[in-house]
Amino acid sequence: MAPLQKRALYGLAFGVVWAVAIIVVFIVKGGVSTFSEDQGFRLIIDGLWVGGLIFYGILMLTLRKQSQVDERDRLILGRAPVVQLWAVIFSLVIWTIVLTESYWDQGIPPIFMYLVFMSTLIVSAVAQSIGILIGYWRMGRND
Amino acid sequence: MTKVKNRIRRLRFDHDEMTQQELANRAGCTRQTIIALEQGKYVPSIELAFGIAKAFGVTLEEVFQYEEST
Repeated sequence: MAPLQKRALYGLAFGVVWAVAIIVVFIVKGGVSTFSEDQGFRLIIDGLWVGGLIFYGILMLTLRKQSQVDERDRLILGRAPVVQLWAVIFSLVIWTIVLTESYWDQGIPPIFMYLVFMSTLIVSAVAQSIGILIGYWRMGRND
Repeated sequence: MTKVKNRIRRLRFDHDEMTQQELANRAGCTRQTIIALEQGKYVPSIELAFGIAKAFGVTLEEVFQYEEST
């Protein structure tokens, strides 16, 4: 397995655990209505996603230092943002449809701006790893 | 499969069974790229192709051949 591929796998594994942890805490603590009222809850979520983002950055930097990247890896790395872009667009489309349909009459609560931004960052990080793994898979198939 | 064929595996064995890692170090790429090249799953850049030829001490044509489609 190429070092970059290994890095992407670690990134994907962490990203999935990170996203699931935030979703679980969010649901267990009471969801959107509690989130907008309870500052303690907001701080826990803040800690989870900012902490996760910092940890993800440190993990990627550490793995980058340890791994050699050559022209084939750079080619794959250069194609990964396409997957990242589509994933971000897709998640924003989902958010837009769900929020519009759920809050058509009342207006969308401002708290969702925060949630949309947070989820977009996580989707972007995870999708980059997926993009890299797809790149290796496609190159392995030689198309 | 790619139209660019190579004799990397043959040349490695002709050079005292040079390992893939050794060739990768000499050519300046990863071992996984050498594996992909040997399997015909990747076509290298001109720069890497010259690097591989140089690692074997042969010309580019002795390593890589372009197969014309008939």
